[in-house]
Amino acid sequence: MNLVLVGISHRTAPVEVRERMNIQESRLSAALADLSHRPGIHEGFILSTCNRTELTAGADDEADAAPALRQFIADYHRCDLAPYENYFYWHRQQEVVRHLFRVASSLDSMILGEPQILGQMKQAYAVAREAGALGGALNEVAQQALAVARRVRRETALGAAAMTVSYAAVELAKKIFGSLNGKTVFVIGAGKMSELAAKHLLASGASSIFVSNRTYDRALELAGAFHGTAIRFDEIFDYIDQADIVISSTGAPHFVITRERAERLLAARRNRPIFFVDIAVPRDVDPAINELDNAYVYDIDDLGQVIEANKKQREREAVWAEEIVEQEVERMMRRLASREVAPTIVALEERLRQIRSSELERYHGRLATLTPEQREAVDSLTQGILNKILHGPITELKSGAGNPEQGALVQLVRRIFGVEK
Amino acid sequence: MYTGFITCALALYALGILLILPSVARRRAGLPAAALGALALGLVMHGAALAVLAARVHRLPIIDVRSALSFLAFDLTLAFFLIYLRQRIPSLGIFMLPFVFVLTLAAAVEPGHSFDSAQFRSGWLLAHIASMILGYTGFFITFVAAVMYLIQESELKRKQPRAFYYRLPSLEVCDSLYYRSLVFGLVFLSAGLITGFVSASREWRGPWEYDPKILASLGTWVIYLTLFSTRWAGNWRGRRSAYVAILGFAAILVTFLGASFLSGQHGFFPNLGGTP
Repeated sequence: MNLVLVGISHRTAPVEVRERMNIQESRLSAALADLSHRPGIHEGFILSTCNRTELTAGADDEADAAPALRQFIADYHRCDLAPYENYFYWHRQQEVVRHLFRVASSLDSMILGEPQILGQMKQAYAVAREAGALGGALNEVAQQALAVARRVRRETALGAAAMTVSYAAVELAKKIFGSLNGKTVFVIGAGKMSELAAKHLLASGASSIFVSNRTYDRALELAGAFHGTAIRFDEIFDYIDQADIVISSTGAPHFVITRERAERLLAARRNRPIFFVDIAVPRDVDPAINELDNAYVYDIDDLGQVIEANKKQREREAVWAEEIVEQEVERMMRRLASREVAPTIVALEERLRQIRSSELERYHGRLATLTPEQREAVDSLTQGILNKILHGPITELKSGAGNPEQGALVQLVRRIFGVEK
Repeated sequence: MYTGFITCALALYALGILLILPSVARRRAGLPAAALGALALGLVMHGAALAVLAARVHRLPIIDVRSALSFLAFDLTLAFFLIYLRQRIPSLGIFMLPFVFVLTLAAAVEPGHSFDSAQFRSGWLLAHIASMILGYTGFFITFVAAVMYLIQESELKRKQPRAFYYRLPSLEVCDSLYYRSLVFGLVFLSAGLITGFVSASREWRGPWEYDPKILASLGTWVIYLTLFSTRWAGNWRGRRSAYVAILGFAAILVTFLGASFLSGQHGFFPNLGGTP
């Protein structure tokens, strides 16, 4: 089995090209059926997201696959491929395996370690299975890509650290409070960003929410959406001591929460920790509050710094992840090679048996005069020659099981003996 | 026999620590089974060593400083296990287990002459020693929790996460470990002091109230009682109490080691084979 992959991604092509080459989800099934029925192609797998479109084909002959893929793309998008030629990358055999494993593990993603790609890959696999486009070596590779991605997720922290402001805030809150269960969130200034942060905090277990806004109606609206309580803007300080996490994003030109306020707040809370997320510019929370024990203040730049550090962490984890991918590629290549051994042996035996019986058939007339004993002798003579010839290649094929070069050996034996699939 | 078991335990603890290191460095969610297995087996070997010693002396196997340290190391490993089962804090092992290793190493040296005075058969004295060791176990964990809290707190205040930010548990987890071990330690320290007073008043001749080690122990007790009551009343929390917990642990070291130089009845230096 030969694997060929062609693709464009955020690494090679700008968004205009990527959207031109995108294959819509609704048409994916039909596209797969078309691709996998092209001459010389047995299997097809298509992954098309906003960051990449990749087509993989499994063919008997590598030479068939590339032109068929090229033709398919030209037909599907009804365009001349020449102007796009430079955006495409091509992979063959082991490179295909490695590429699919890396993509599924989110090592090739725009945001390293982002989790969506695994879901998209799963979906693509399900559609390809459904369309009957998978069933051989490519099926095994695609399936294993999902397993490798899960292993990377389990054994490294590649996807662990937050890459967005709102998730970074949730993560910091967890570093302070442990579990967010039973924690109270206070949103001051109902903006888009604070709404998102509040949503993530609630999804992570925070149990109640207060919302305050200069326009009370907006506070009511947002509080309603979160099943929280709306607070009038001038009553903030009557309620804020109940809050463990304060998200502030007002348009106020001065600090809404001053150091003196915070000191009183901490005393009222009997020094239970409080976390201020200040996403307003100009800032709402006096940064000096961070100097108080049990109070933590993060403004938008601080959160950016955390994300930057998280990014470095992910890059460090990616080194481990690449190592896992390499191990898995090697294992996959061994498996692919050995899955061709048994059919090759059977085909080889069948091929020689055919030669023997057709030759015996040819000499049937001239051997008619032989006595039964002599005929038996001819039978066992020819069978003996056949067995002796088969012995070498079969032993060689079997002993090479699990060897990475075995794929080449299988191809060689097939070619020498003229064994077709 | 004892040396064999304790050497096995020591080797297994070392193996456990070595196996924990990469999983903490790589931020795995849990500890590898091999590390936990090595520690568990080490614990069994350690228990066997103590049992052998107990069979030899026909009582609680605390006969000298070394065996007391051994007992403390055993308690600490057991505590680490129990905490790990409940809370899954791999990084706790990095802080606790090297200390356990050092204690066990000290204990691995064949105990010299085990003095077997009638005094050591007193139930009060044994209750005193066992309670004190359990108290120290609790306070050592309080100390470790306080250190972890301070590191994590400074990471959060600095706002530029470094290695520890990603590997240490949340402040809340450190704080609850801190509080629980504090209560545990305080209960046993109090019990240890009371049984110690009873034992001293029965056994010792002369005024025992002014023994330096007893005075130092009382000082330690006051420190931890203050920590507990301020925390309970809600005045102190977080960084300040973490510093005091570290001070408390320093006081224990002074009590356990320093005051022993001066104390008549508690003295055991320079000979490690003395009374604890």
